[in-house]
Amino acid sequence: MASGKLPSTTAGIATSRRAWRATNRGAPALGRESAFARNLRGLLLIGPPLVVMASLLLYPAGVSIVRTFQETDADGSVSWTLARYHRFFTDPYSVANYLRTVWTTAVTLALLVAVCLPIAIYLHFTRSRLAAVVQALALFPMFVPGIIVAYALIRYIGPNGLMQTLLETIGLTFYKSPYLTPWGPVIGLVWDHMPLTLLILTAGMAKVSQEAIEAARDVGAGYITIFWRIILPLISDSLLVVVALNVISLFGSFVIPYMLGPASPEMMGPYMLRTFAEVREPDFAAAQAVVTFLTCSVFGILYVVMLTKRQDM
Amino acid sequence: MPIATVFLWAFAEQWYYPALLPTDWGLRYWHTTLARADVLSALRLSLALSVTVTLLSAVICLPAAYAFARMEFVGRRTFMMSFLAINAFPRFGLIVMIATLFLSLRLVGTFWGIVLVQLLNTMLIMIWLPSAAFRGVDRRLEEAARDVGAGPIRTFVRITIPQAAPAIGAAMLLTFVSTFYETEGAWLVGAPKLRTMPMVMLQMITGQIVVQYGAVLSVLLWVPSFIALLFARRVLASNQFAKGFGA
Repeated sequence: MASGKLPSTTAGIATSRRAWRATNRGAPALGRESAFARNLRGLLLIGPPLVVMASLLLYPAGVSIVRTFQETDADGSVSWTLARYHRFFTDPYSVANYLRTVWTTAVTLALLVAVCLPIAIYLHFTRSRLAAVVQALALFPMFVPGIIVAYALIRYIGPNGLMQTLLETIGLTFYKSPYLTPWGPVIGLVWDHMPLTLLILTAGMAKVSQEAIEAARDVGAGYITIFWRIILPLISDSLLVVVALNVISLFGSFVIPYMLGPASPEMMGPYMLRTFAEVREPDFAAAQAVVTFLTCSVFGILYVVMLTKRQDM
Repeated sequence: MPIATVFLWAFAEQWYYPALLPTDWGLRYWHTTLARADVLSALRLSLALSVTVTLLSAVICLPAAYAFARMEFVGRRTFMMSFLAINAFPRFGLIVMIATLFLSLRLVGTFWGIVLVQLLNTMLIMIWLPSAAFRGVDRRLEEAARDVGAGPIRTFVRITIPQAAPAIGAAMLLTFVSTFYETEGAWLVGAPKLRTMPMVMLQMITGQIVVQYGAVLSVLLWVPSFIALLFARRVLASNQFAKGFGA
């Protein structure tokens, strides 16, 4: 830090001058300001984003949720109904889409943890050039927008794509493209969600000290014991954040499932868009959104609980 | 490898399966892609949207970021948490609900409708990263400046802002790039009247026989944002960024 270079004498003079000014000129130091003025100023500054959030998040969500329970008759009278939800859960197509979304979310999440956790552990204990390369590679998808990821994957893993060509060049002909199968979105979503998952796990690994590991090793603990007894308990908070954040984000993903996934059954994202924009049934789309909200709410609450545990805000 | 494939396609005039590399190289498709009217108008719209959203987001969020970092007031923690809690909602479901409301407010199909829906996506980054940066500003330097006679505004402009600038710049860059590529909100609220760049790209990738259109656009639009984001790399790869999501 630049401040570290500040000569202590200057700092000393500075402090005494400040004290002099404060006493002699009555400069309004922070401490003298009334609590009311302080609170008002802070709240005024954070007011605009709060207004945006209330009017763009809470209000629309509230109104839309209420509307999914309402039906307007021909004469303009409004009645309350559960018809849209009944329709959702009795329509085989909606249920199939919902189950496909649950499956994709679960499989993608499992793969994400299976891939990112070992990388995070490796990065924490290694400071080699290879580790830097691994980190750069793992974070790279963060710099590539979803739509380009999807295009790249279509051209690479798609039928007659480069992957197939490469495999056939070395004589392997078994390849069947996952493009437009349920595995297409899984591959794309794992790629897309990897950087943030890894960053959160790496941040969590910062709590694992080298000394603790070495002490455990001295008393004869093996790799598996160290993982279960030391690493896992320390990063459990980060793991929960990863699970909650990814479930919420995967469940409502759109671009990658839309481009890489099968047309039927499809994930909730493309389904909601189709219902809203093509079938033009906004209220049924909102009912589908409420179903995704409810499904994710457990993880949303878990996420908020994890946030409240933090001390550094 | 997948990204390399995109580059190969962008410079291929002919590439038939099962050739390992393009059979004919050239820039012909760059001219034809750029000559398309839908591409140009979408590019203009997307740039206008991204600039508007980024500036608006900065004006609204930066003072709040400063307040969160440097002031003590009632409910500071709760309000800060409520911004982070935006992530606790499935984004697409939220956008569907906003779009449903916008439909009755006649905001669907308007420029400002898209701006509003995209604004929501930017708030977390625009508050969290600058706020962490303001917190990191060395108070001793500020005090020293005040002591040699600088007023509060001068101190803020000359000492506080320069120290927080890299993180603010990174947050704005991130907001700009992510808004440029934002697809869901722009589609639900804008289409079919307003078509942004990602929507034109989607159409060219899924509905076009000419593969090169999608490839050229991907390379053309991604390379500048990639270079821009490289400048923000340190912030993006930092714990501070991860912490914004609750790490």
